[in-house]
Amino acid sequence: MAVELEESMLVRVQQENFSIDEELERVRSRSRRIGGIAMFLGTARDHSKGREVSAMSFDHYEGMAQKKLKEIREQALRDFDIIEALVLHRYGPIEIGENIVLIIVGAEHRADAFKACKWCIDELKQITPIWKMETTPDGEVWVEEHP
Amino acid sequence: MVKIKLFGVLKTMVPGGKDLEMEIPAGGQVRDLVHSIQGEYPQVGELLDKKKVLVSVNQEIAHWDTVLEEADEIALLPPFAGGSCATWAREGV
Repeated sequence: MAVELEESMLVRVQQENFSIDEELERVRSRSRRIGGIAMFLGTARDHSKGREVSAMSFDHYEGMAQKKLKEIREQALRDFDIIEALVLHRYGPIEIGENIVLIIVGAEHRADAFKACKWCIDELKQITPIWKMETTPDGEVWVEEHP
Repeated sequence: MVKIKLFGVLKTMVPGGKDLEMEIPAGGQVRDLVHSIQGEYPQVGELLDKKKVLVSVNQEIAHWDTVLEEADEIALLPPFAGGSCATWAREGV
């Protein structure tokens, strides 16, 4: 039960902000074999495609979004030589400069941690049903794609 | 009668931005549902036709020949915030 609870904390879609220190500790404490931790933090920027952005909000498909993040973590653990991975995404209104998405990967060595971390964020952006609406001087715009 | 969840930009394309309810014939497939949507909501229908919007059934991407049941959880998915058309091509639909 405790293991399941801990694993559910490693894949989350939530409205509230998160503490990077707490999430880092969550991964670090999973194993004393971890010798390298790579992290990607996505934050809300104040411009997009040449337009100013004053605020943004994320819509998500409750259930499917969590399912896809879980699949990403499980595939990363299978396909890369890593020890632990955490995948977290926020939804709802997010202020400029705030945290949006966090990937943390712990491995014995840095090369595997870096590779898996990049794969996780790239995959998340491809398969996770989350949509971004930006508030710009032209009004509210749903963002279709980001490289 | 099946319920269809809408997300993102699609909410701006139907009155009130609410989820849809549509009749499907017994043994109906996703293509039948798409046909009904094209009739009632042409703007959404056009995006489905161009494969800019995908259909998911029970939280998995569906194909046009996927058979639907009333209890299915159906959703229309516009391109994801971080995705691209490559996502759609990858799903092979």
